[in-house]
Amino acid sequence: MNKDNKRMLYKRPEGLTDKVMHYCAGCGHSLAHKVLAEVLDELEVREKTVGVAPVGCAVFAYHYLKCDISEAAHGRAAAVATGIKRALPDRIVFSYQGDGDLAAIGLAETVHAANRGENITVIFVNNTVYGMTGGQMAPTTLNGQHTATCPSGRDPAGMGHPLRVCELINTLEAPYYIERVALDGVGGVLRMKKALHKAFSVQIAGKGYSLVEILSPCPTYFRMTASESLKFVNREMRDCFPVRVFRDQGTPQNA
Amino acid sequence: MLERIIIAGAGGQGSVLLGKLMALTAMDIFPHITFFPAYGAEVRGGASHCQVVMSSTEIASPCAEQADALILMNQHDAAGFVAQLAPKGLAVVNSSLCHIRQVPRGRRLVSIPASAMADQLGSPRSANIVMLGALLRHKPLFSMAAAEQTIRKLPSGAPGMLEINLRALQAGHQAAG
Amino acid sequence: MTGNEALAEGAIRAGCQCYFGYPITPQNELTAYMSAQMPARGRVFIQSESELAAISMVFGAAAAGARAMTTSSSPGISLMQEGLSYLAGARLPAVVVNVQRGGPGLGSIDPAQGDYFQSVKSGGHGDYHMIVLAPTSVQEMHDLTIHAFRLADCYRVPVMVLADGRIGQMMEPIRLHEGPPPPAPRKPWALTGAAGRDPNCVRSLLVGEGELEQHNYVLQDCYRHIRRKEIMYHEKCVSDCETLLVAWGTCARLARGVVDLARAKGKRVGLLQPTTLWPFPEQRLRRLAARVKNLLVVEMNCGQMLEDVQRLAEGRAPVHFKGYPGGRVPTETEILRAVMALRPPRSVPRRKTGKRK
Repeated sequence: MNKDNKRMLYKRPEGLTDKVMHYCAGCGHSLAHKVLAEVLDELEVREKTVGVAPVGCAVFAYHYLKCDISEAAHGRAAAVATGIKRALPDRIVFSYQGDGDLAAIGLAETVHAANRGENITVIFVNNTVYGMTGGQMAPTTLNGQHTATCPSGRDPAGMGHPLRVCELINTLEAPYYIERVALDGVGGVLRMKKALHKAFSVQIAGKGYSLVEILSPCPTYFRMTASESLKFVNREMRDCFPVRVFRDQGTPQNA
Repeated sequence: MLERIIIAGAGGQGSVLLGKLMALTAMDIFPHITFFPAYGAEVRGGASHCQVVMSSTEIASPCAEQADALILMNQHDAAGFVAQLAPKGLAVVNSSLCHIRQVPRGRRLVSIPASAMADQLGSPRSANIVMLGALLRHKPLFSMAAAEQTIRKLPSGAPGMLEINLRALQAGHQAAG
Repeated sequence: MTGNEALAEGAIRAGCQCYFGYPITPQNELTAYMSAQMPARGRVFIQSESELAAISMVFGAAAAGARAMTTSSSPGISLMQEGLSYLAGARLPAVVVNVQRGGPGLGSIDPAQGDYFQSVKSGGHGDYHMIVLAPTSVQEMHDLTIHAFRLADCYRVPVMVLADGRIGQMMEPIRLHEGPPPPAPRKPWALTGAAGRDPNCVRSLLVGEGELEQHNYVLQDCYRHIRRKEIMYHEKCVSDCETLLVAWGTCARLARGVVDLARAKGKRVGLLQPTTLWPFPEQRLRRLAARVKNLLVVEMNCGQMLEDVQRLAEGRAPVHFKGYPGGRVPTETEILRAVMALRPPRSVPRRKTGKRK
């Protein structure tokens, strides 16, 4: 409490620069960035953290997050994070990736980093589309969902079904903590923050691999308003991608 | 001075090991030495040979076109290797498994039943060392004592292997007389 | 020691802190050696899931300021082109070893020199160069690897050691490097956590107006500097030669023998053996080309360095070629025959066009 009897209730996190974000209105990335910055502040690890930015909408993460950041080639973030963490085991290392980066071109790197139990935190922002390149079909695009490259809707015959990353990674022995959250409202934001807190705490304690999948709105390529796209996350996306803790303390959790 | 040696046999007969052993021993005598292995694509069995070149001058190719000495552990491609013998070259043949009976004019042939002798000594795998003893009798690239010393430095295999190998070396040397 | 092991030991003695590799013949001895030796020294070894991952792990470790290396053979190096371009773009130091085998495609597991273009002209996208070193002996496998780490740190560039299966698998006695590792420069750009400083960013995406153009000028400046300072080559009997052999790696080693054999037959033959394939000893070759009657390029490919030699000879002397593209290493006799068959050019030596056989 300061001398004017005013209390600080809300402020820009230390870990965030004052640059205006380039993300579209209603996009989940800006929220995810802000909460990530808050978590790094609260855990007091920002000055020993190295992040890996993906190829995709979040490639400019280094403009906004006030920590050391490396780019990675498309899909290779988990391998780059592995290299950083192994070279500097006492630093906190995370990758921040979208669905195309993590689940399509980088699936091998994703699975093998998880399978080795790398002591890193993977933040997976799933919005079911390639945003940066113009809204193409992603591995997580829902059946029937329209995108630039499945204009008549995703037809699983020939295009496959949406890929469930948490479920896939949960089949491995090594991961320590896996959770999926949804940015579909205030509750979702708070759950995301809790999940990120948990994931980084796991890494700080040296327990091993943690993955937080964030179901996130992309109003631009959902071709919806911001509030409609929150509903889309809340209903359609959560139908396909159940929101829950999949693995805690290295043990698979029941649905 | 230039000595080009080819050792040929089947995988598992210790041709490559013998080549390494010779290269190691010769290191104190020759300023330039190369060793080059050639395995087949098979992981087990198949043909296997290697080349050792010892020289007083720089060695351009570790794979000599001609051989001053040839150690034939078995029949595989034996005729082809014999054709590579240089004038005055020496072929040492394991007569237990290789039936080369003659070499071109101006080359020498020494035949000893190395595999049978190694069997008698209690270790079929020591046939390669028997062959080394025989080679050194006719081509003293280095002394028997130096060879012994290197054999002593080999990673010890089964118990008693060292003694058998040392006896194999002497046996080969005597049998080739 | 085999060439592969000598190289691995060189990396260890150069202070390589992180090694990432994926199995491929004919360089498996290298990965095996590192898998035993790196953890024993408390350093990092990972067998990665692919060459794409291996080079990306190198990227991460290098970004964190560590001396990092990966090794592979031709098909694996093709996969690494992505990472090499990113390393060059982000100005990260790293050492990459290519123990070449036959190609294209799976080709064969036999030694070859078919990756000259890919290495020297840079096989990834964008305007970049790697320093490329070509060892000809087991000793050079060791020494040039140590030198590679020095160069990488000094210029913040990826450096490639371009060997082949022949040198990788042969054994020769060598003298191991006993001194300290090359001095490690300060790396204020490294990602170590932004404690008490502004955050660092390792990136190659430069979309601000004029940003990329400026960045490329910086890279080109660096390359100019390397061209001025770091050219290495060997020569043999060039002072009076009429025929100049130009060869690298395994072929250079053979050519050294051929020079002796040809001289014994009364033919005045010399050899230029570039150790740095990039930067290429351009001035030296120009000067020699102006003096000799014939040039003969010998490679285990269909004529790759040949194009650089032709470009630099500028028609001062005819450039002949003897190539062995089948993964087979030629014999000295074969090369000697090609040398002995060369006749002085019929017209005046100042003809404009080179002859390609």
